[in-house]
Amino acid sequence: MTTQQQAGQEKEQAVGQVEMSLRQDGRARMASNTQAFLRNHAPFNKMQPDALQLFADKAKIVFYAAGSEIVGPDSGKVRYFYLIESGKVQARQAGEVTVTEYSILSLGAGESFPIGAVTAGRPSTNVYKAVEDTFCYQLPAEDFLVLLASSPEFNLFCTRYIASLLDQSRCQLQLQFAQRASEQQTLNSPLVGIGSRTPITVSPETPLRAALETMSRAGVGSLVIAGEDRKAVGVFTRTDLLDRVVLAELPLSAPVNQAMSPLPFMLAEHATAYDAMYAMATHGIRHVLVTDAEGKLTGVVSERDLFSLQRVGLRQIRQSIDGAHNVEALQQAAADVRQLAFNMLAQGVGAEQLTQFISALNDALTRRVIQLNLEKHNFDGIEWGWLAFGSEGRDEQTFSTDQDNGIVFVPPVGATVDALKQRFLAYALDVNNDLDRCGFPLCKGNIMASNPQWCLTLDEWKDQFATWIRTPQPDALLNATIFFDFRALYGKAELADAMRRHLLSLTASSPMFLRAMAKNALDVEPPLGKIRDFLTDLEPGKPGKIDLKKYGSRIFVDVARIYAMASGVHNTNSIQRLRLAAQRLSIRSDEIDAVLEGLNFIQLLRLQHQYLEGEPGTQGDNLIDPDTLNELDRRILKESFRQARKIQTRLKLDYQVQ
Amino acid sequence: MLGLKKFLFRSSAQAHLPDDVRASLDLWRASKAPPLDDVHFQTRYVVVDIVSSGTNPENDRLLGIAACAVWKGAIQPDDTFYVDFSTLDGEGSTVDRELMAFLLFAAKAPLVTYHVPYVGGFLQRAFKERLGVDFQPQWIDLAWLLPSMFDDKGDSIMPMDHWIDVFGLDAGGGRRDAMANTLLLARIFQMMTVRSVSKQIDTAAHLLAESRASSFLRRTH
Repeated sequence: MTTQQQAGQEKEQAVGQVEMSLRQDGRARMASNTQAFLRNHAPFNKMQPDALQLFADKAKIVFYAAGSEIVGPDSGKVRYFYLIESGKVQARQAGEVTVTEYSILSLGAGESFPIGAVTAGRPSTNVYKAVEDTFCYQLPAEDFLVLLASSPEFNLFCTRYIASLLDQSRCQLQLQFAQRASEQQTLNSPLVGIGSRTPITVSPETPLRAALETMSRAGVGSLVIAGEDRKAVGVFTRTDLLDRVVLAELPLSAPVNQAMSPLPFMLAEHATAYDAMYAMATHGIRHVLVTDAEGKLTGVVSERDLFSLQRVGLRQIRQSIDGAHNVEALQQAAADVRQLAFNMLAQGVGAEQLTQFISALNDALTRRVIQLNLEKHNFDGIEWGWLAFGSEGRDEQTFSTDQDNGIVFVPPVGATVDALKQRFLAYALDVNNDLDRCGFPLCKGNIMASNPQWCLTLDEWKDQFATWIRTPQPDALLNATIFFDFRALYGKAELADAMRRHLLSLTASSPMFLRAMAKNALDVEPPLGKIRDFLTDLEPGKPGKIDLKKYGSRIFVDVARIYAMASGVHNTNSIQRLRLAAQRLSIRSDEIDAVLEGLNFIQLLRLQHQYLEGEPGTQGDNLIDPDTLNELDRRILKESFRQARKIQTRLKLDYQVQ
Repeated sequence: MLGLKKFLFRSSAQAHLPDDVRASLDLWRASKAPPLDDVHFQTRYVVVDIVSSGTNPENDRLLGIAACAVWKGAIQPDDTFYVDFSTLDGEGSTVDRELMAFLLFAAKAPLVTYHVPYVGGFLQRAFKERLGVDFQPQWIDLAWLLPSMFDDKGDSIMPMDHWIDVFGLDAGGGRRDAMANTLLLARIFQMMTVRSVSKQIDTAAHLLAESRASSFLRRTH
């Protein structure tokens, strides 16, 4: 080679190097374009920059016209991982014609496939087909595997799909609620926004009798005594009634200013809740009056108002429930339970813990109501128990759960069952009404202990169970879904245990009954669309909405009940039922975990919906509009419904339901 | 006479070129253009968009080129190109080298763009003035082709944003850079090749013929 030739080659390289570097610039620009998409979608938005860069550097962009197949079992070993940029892809399980109906699912922007096949380096078992014009990012399998090995976030996403999405959703939720919580008051907020803005006041000359009547009418424990200039001169409380009226033998015609505590403690509106709390602690008072700049009364802050500012604690609520002496005090406790549940929801506590927690406090409340009413009704010497059914029986209460309860008793030898039953019914009626006042609405279907149908002796319950199981008519099956989820709430738990043993021995020997239950449970399918994500028109009169109970949690609950009865599981909680039954029936644990995560997410959505939309004291519903969910939650909801479909499919196969 | 002038012009433009650029240019001139009778899947198309200081190719400046290749059915991240002249102020041999690098990148593949008179005009002038090259690639003009391929979605020349809307592409908020624009064009081109196959336009040659025919028909009728 001549020197001239060599020089020529070197110079040629110079252009070649420039080309190389401009190609790199091009690639970097395209990668940043791809990253802009990735940043908006889970799990990529949580991945480390170098992992994202790897994806963006390697991903090609491909187009599939509506109707074309993207990948299927016939394409051989899967060569690419696909991430949908826009459009819609339908996955359909190949072969196994009998279950195809169950295995169609639709994927949208931000979703990826075929994760299992590309991870395992095998052909896809599903046929993926574009149902709309679709663009995908296409990552070569070898780069996918590098990413899987190098990015923990991506790995978690691929191996525990729904769990990783749930974690993210929970973080988002915490963020969203943290904002709300910070808008909420803290101990640093000024008194102007705390407590009662319209304190009950009377003038100093008001006769005691009139003042007491005012207190009684308003249902308050204290009065502010103020002149016409609205400047407070004193406070009159129940304690004053005892010390300064009754014991001092002051006539009720005397003016209230003779019995009041003069010189009430006052703080200006701009003082903080903390100041008020400090004042109460140091002066041993329960109320602080709030005044404006001119000293005029503008409000009253009570100990309770401050209490609710601090994150209400479980222990305090328990104490206030157990210490309550009347329904009024329990009503306040019920409101506190709700507030605490909200705070827990805001802190990202999962649905399983939350529902159990709500159930635990509601149990305590209910037990207290039951106890308080025993003061008026005496059942000494009689074995009896208060039973909870339905969601209460399963420890799965949400914010809006009405009463489902009953009584079981064993008449002592020689006692007349009917007379005893009448006494229990009268008692149950009082309990039912008090529970209603505490925020547990009366059951519309009259599944309550005050209904003679559900206030039965142990033998009557056993007969009733046997009748339902022997003749699985539609009514019997419906009753089974409510009454077989029973739990003893008060009284002799042994009675409920006896009922359970009886029930399980009956169901173990009645495959026909379980099959009928299975058939019943398969009547409702999760609302997954074949083309659209969700079917939102299943509820007449509620277009655009999905009933998360009817088409969501109930599916899991029904399947859990059947497997629990089939495998002799004593628990009533659906999650425990599924976990335990899965062990006994050797269902893979990762499979059942995914199912439980699906159930938990649906429950969490119900709780959020009920809290956000439900006004305190009104019944929240279970109807959500999926379009109002953020993209991440939509994806998880879709996946949760898929899990519902998966366990339904299993049930269908296990019980040979056509 | 005309041929002589052209020859002189070219050699004078080439005279100042660095040796390596001249050598590359000679190689490029000698290289064979890829065949145009393969199906779209086998053909390497280069989608290109430019940045300029104005809309008039005669007077305004070419500030940048963004290009990406579409072949084997995909936009290929490792076959893309981006050059920014705006900071160079027309500076000497760097621009020459970068323009030459684009010729090497494009490798005489059919070029796809939106509105050839604009994009082609700027490129033509730059290549003529800097490299003495009469740049006459095989142009596929989406501005003309789209109304003829997607007559259900628009039947006349329309701004590119119309097609972005019609196809529901996510163009991102705010101004797009040249590469984002090129990638959008490339996506539209991918959609169009699928559509064209259903009209028996299944090779680059057919597509080029259709592009010429559609622009001719529309201009003259």
